[in-house]
Amino acid sequence: MTIAATAGRTAINPRAAVLAYLAVSGIVLLLMMLLGLTMRLAQAQWIDVSPDFFYVVMTMHGAGMVGIAGLCSAAVMWHFVRRHVPVSTAVFLTNLVFFLIGAVLILGAGFIGGFGAAWTFLFPLPAHSGGLWSVNAAAAYLVGLIFIGVGFLLLHLDIARGILSVYGGLGAALGVKQAFGLAHGEEGPPPAVTASTMALIANILGILVGAAVLIISLVNLYVPSFTFNALAAKNLIYYFGHTFINVTIYMAVIAVYEILPIYAHRAWKTNWAFYLAWVLSTVFVLTVYTHHLLMDFAMPTWTLVAGQVISWLSGLPVLLVTAFGTLTVVYRSGLRWNPAAALVFLGVAGWAIGVIPAIADGTIAVNSVMHNTQWVPGHFHTYLLLGMVAMVLGFMTYLTNPQSRYGVAWLGYWLYLLGGVVFVLAFLSAGSASVPRRYAVHVAQWLPYDRIGSIGAACAIAGVLILIVRFFVGMRTAASAQDPSG
Amino acid sequence: MTRGFPVLLAFVLSIGIGTLAFETDGFRVVTSAGARQLSIERAPQGVPDAQLVDQDGTPFTLADYKGRPVLIDFIYTRCPTICTALGDDFARLRQLMGGTRAHAAIDLLSISFDPTDNRAALRLYGDRFGAKAPRWRIAAAADQRARAALLHSFGVVVIPDGLGGFIHNDAVYVVDAQGRLARILDSDAPDRLLAAAVQVAAP
Amino acid sequence: MNARLLAAATGSWLVLWLPPIRHTLESDMVLHMAVQVPLLIMLGVLVAVVARDREPRWLADADWLGIPGIVAVVLGTSFWMLPRALDQAVSDPWADLIKFLSLPLLVGVPLGLSWRRMPPLGRAFIWANFIPKLGAIGGLYLGAPTRLCAYYRLDQQELAGWTLIAIAVALGMTWFFAAFVGWTPSCAKQSPRRSGGFLIAAVGGN
Ligand code: HEM
Repeated sequence: MTIAATAGRTAINPRAAVLAYLAVSGIVLLLMMLLGLTMRLAQAQWIDVSPDFFYVVMTMHGAGMVGIAGLCSAAVMWHFVRRHVPVSTAVFLTNLVFFLIGAVLILGAGFIGGFGAAWTFLFPLPAHSGGLWSVNAAAAYLVGLIFIGVGFLLLHLDIARGILSVYGGLGAALGVKQAFGLAHGEEGPPPAVTASTMALIANILGILVGAAVLIISLVNLYVPSFTFNALAAKNLIYYFGHTFINVTIYMAVIAVYEILPIYAHRAWKTNWAFYLAWVLSTVFVLTVYTHHLLMDFAMPTWTLVAGQVISWLSGLPVLLVTAFGTLTVVYRSGLRWNPAAALVFLGVAGWAIGVIPAIADGTIAVNSVMHNTQWVPGHFHTYLLLGMVAMVLGFMTYLTNPQSRYGVAWLGYWLYLLGGVVFVLAFLSAGSASVPRRYAVHVAQWLPYDRIGSIGAACAIAGVLILIVRFFVGMRTAASAQDPSG
Repeated sequence: MTRGFPVLLAFVLSIGIGTLAFETDGFRVVTSAGARQLSIERAPQGVPDAQLVDQDGTPFTLADYKGRPVLIDFIYTRCPTICTALGDDFARLRQLMGGTRAHAAIDLLSISFDPTDNRAALRLYGDRFGAKAPRWRIAAAADQRARAALLHSFGVVVIPDGLGGFIHNDAVYVVDAQGRLARILDSDAPDRLLAAAVQVAAP
Repeated sequence: MNARLLAAATGSWLVLWLPPIRHTLESDMVLHMAVQVPLLIMLGVLVAVVARDREPRWLADADWLGIPGIVAVVLGTSFWMLPRALDQAVSDPWADLIKFLSLPLLVGVPLGLSWRRMPPLGRAFIWANFIPKLGAIGGLYLGAPTRLCAYYRLDQQELAGWTLIAIAVALGMTWFFAAFVGWTPSCAKQSPRRSGGFLIAAVGGN
């Protein structure tokens, strides 16, 4: 069965489905950024926000961003992997519907039920509200998470099925043979397939682990005499959550592999090093979660050391081959820069730069000092806001490409880039000045960081707003159009 | 897909979920102990008129308690673990009850299910915790029939622990002033146990 | 051939019902949950494989994509994972008879009939549900403060918990490994109809 035939069978236009994902993502992304700005403004003491409300906003910002990051990067992955393997548009849309149902349940639990155990639903917190929220609110929250998990599970399983039907095995799709020089000249899988394979391996295993904890939490909620080792539950939850957010960048990076070559008129060259990097990162990303537990002295020492080494290395292989590949594609290619190409290029840069403080944070000596400072939001905002989000914005710009509006897109690009840099630098320098993270109320000598950060954030949001409005304007024609070819 | 599909699916779902709901008393219990607790709470149940003998050799039946609520646990005197804890809890209960008059109206009864427990063994167990009949009796069933009737009606399951001893329920049973089994309490800290018992037995 | 297989299934059922064997398998929680119950389900699957050609047309049509059948399997296995149900099976021969009939007929047979009707995505999804559920129940057995089954000791319960977790991890790893190297039994690819390969085919995830 050819891919065209599969696509022809389904009544739903796959492009329209991708655009629907991006439209939802664009709106939620903006709203969540406004929540982020609210926090910064509150810390800067430019607006008055009660500490209680600050933490509600923080929970919503964290949970919403993690969820939407998964959703929009899944759209990038699906759009490109569909060129190589047969996948189902119906399943893709089912995921979107489940995501929205789950989001409604979670929001209901939060705003109507008053559930506030933070997005990590740390066991056994849901059951111990001290009367703040009801069992049903906690259950709605957990069921919402189950909906989202089931949606993503179906999507990943369907892509796995498609990949297996073309490549036979996940190992082959990852390029294991090519990685170890056993391919004898046989051409390796396209980068989009390799990256998708890694993403789905990590996410499926992560979701299975998460599902087990969710079931236990639900049973515990209704039959409290069933308990579970809290540390084990915490480990499992971090495994699930950290894998999920980690994988978004590996899905989004497919945009770089597919979009840059089009504008540079040069193929993305894959070699053994490329495949080896993905194989290594697959192994690493599955174990990296331990670095979240560095603050847990209850863990045996060897796991701390292993976690440190692994977290130090995990994304590095893929990052290196991607950065190197990006430079070779771009270097002297005569690429005529446009906002789409510039955004995905920025994504690679943001990711690379964001990983440097992450590595510093992953080493134990720094960790005990830095882990609870704004250094941490500094590093993850660098590679999420200026890395992952940049790749997705690039993808959105690429899909809705009318050249006539490049001018306004460039304006959005520069506002977003400059504002974003100022915003993350404010976090990082505050972190090195030991400003703690997750503080609603800041003392006077921290205010300069907060104020500069707020200005940067406002700028960045204005830029993103321009890019997203431009996306919505171009969306109508994009549904029926072809992908641009350069 | 045929028209039969929704019908079959609805059939399977309703039968399946119905059976699950039935087995879990409407998704409230998953264990047999929990189910029994719930059914007793809803509908207190009579207790058998079985003949018992206490540590002083005095014969009695549960019917003799009519008018006075009684807390019952099931033990065997050689038991190194649960029954020692239960004994401590009951002793503490007596102390707590000593203070107020209302509480003193509740009697305690520890029933041994071990046929090898003779009067000397019962007495020894009682002395360990300062139990004095009739306010706190350590008793055994007079014969095999009475023992079976008691275990059955209280829902006590006794299985060998593989080390020559037994494993058994560690719940505390509340028989109210009307002589009905009114509540099965999870063993708990004595003060909370007492509060719960008072609430059921002497409202 | 078919008649012989059917006779073998019935014979094995009777052997399992023989009091010495039945009581031995039920005397221990692990044997009960991880040996007797799966064996009874397998017998039903065997019956389904043998009697497949005689399946009434309306049933095959109504069992769209195998969904009603697999729902029966999920609900039936959930039922016999309840500690209370296990207790009843141990203490009451009638309840045990219900178990001996319902596991082969209401779980095994639907599994054998419906599995091959399910699309690959559906099969994978069922695995992805079954594995964490098994692990979660194992975890709950470990974490329960008291005995859940009146007829089993705490150490048996703990062993049963670890056994379930071990099975879940082993299944998950097999599944992953099979998908990684692309191992799909040939019988599954061509015609799951002819052989009993659907059980193994499931592991391939496609
Ligand atoms: C302009 C955009 C953004 C602004 C202004 C912003 C602002 C903030 C602020 C002020 C905090 C709290 C820092 C503290 O601990 O003191 C925070 C936390 C966080 N942000 Fe953002 N953010 C933005 C974009 C993003 C993006 C794009 C993501 C992910 C895709 C993200 C994910 C998170 C997460 C996960 C937290 C941690 C919440 C917690 O500590 O529980 N943010 N953000």
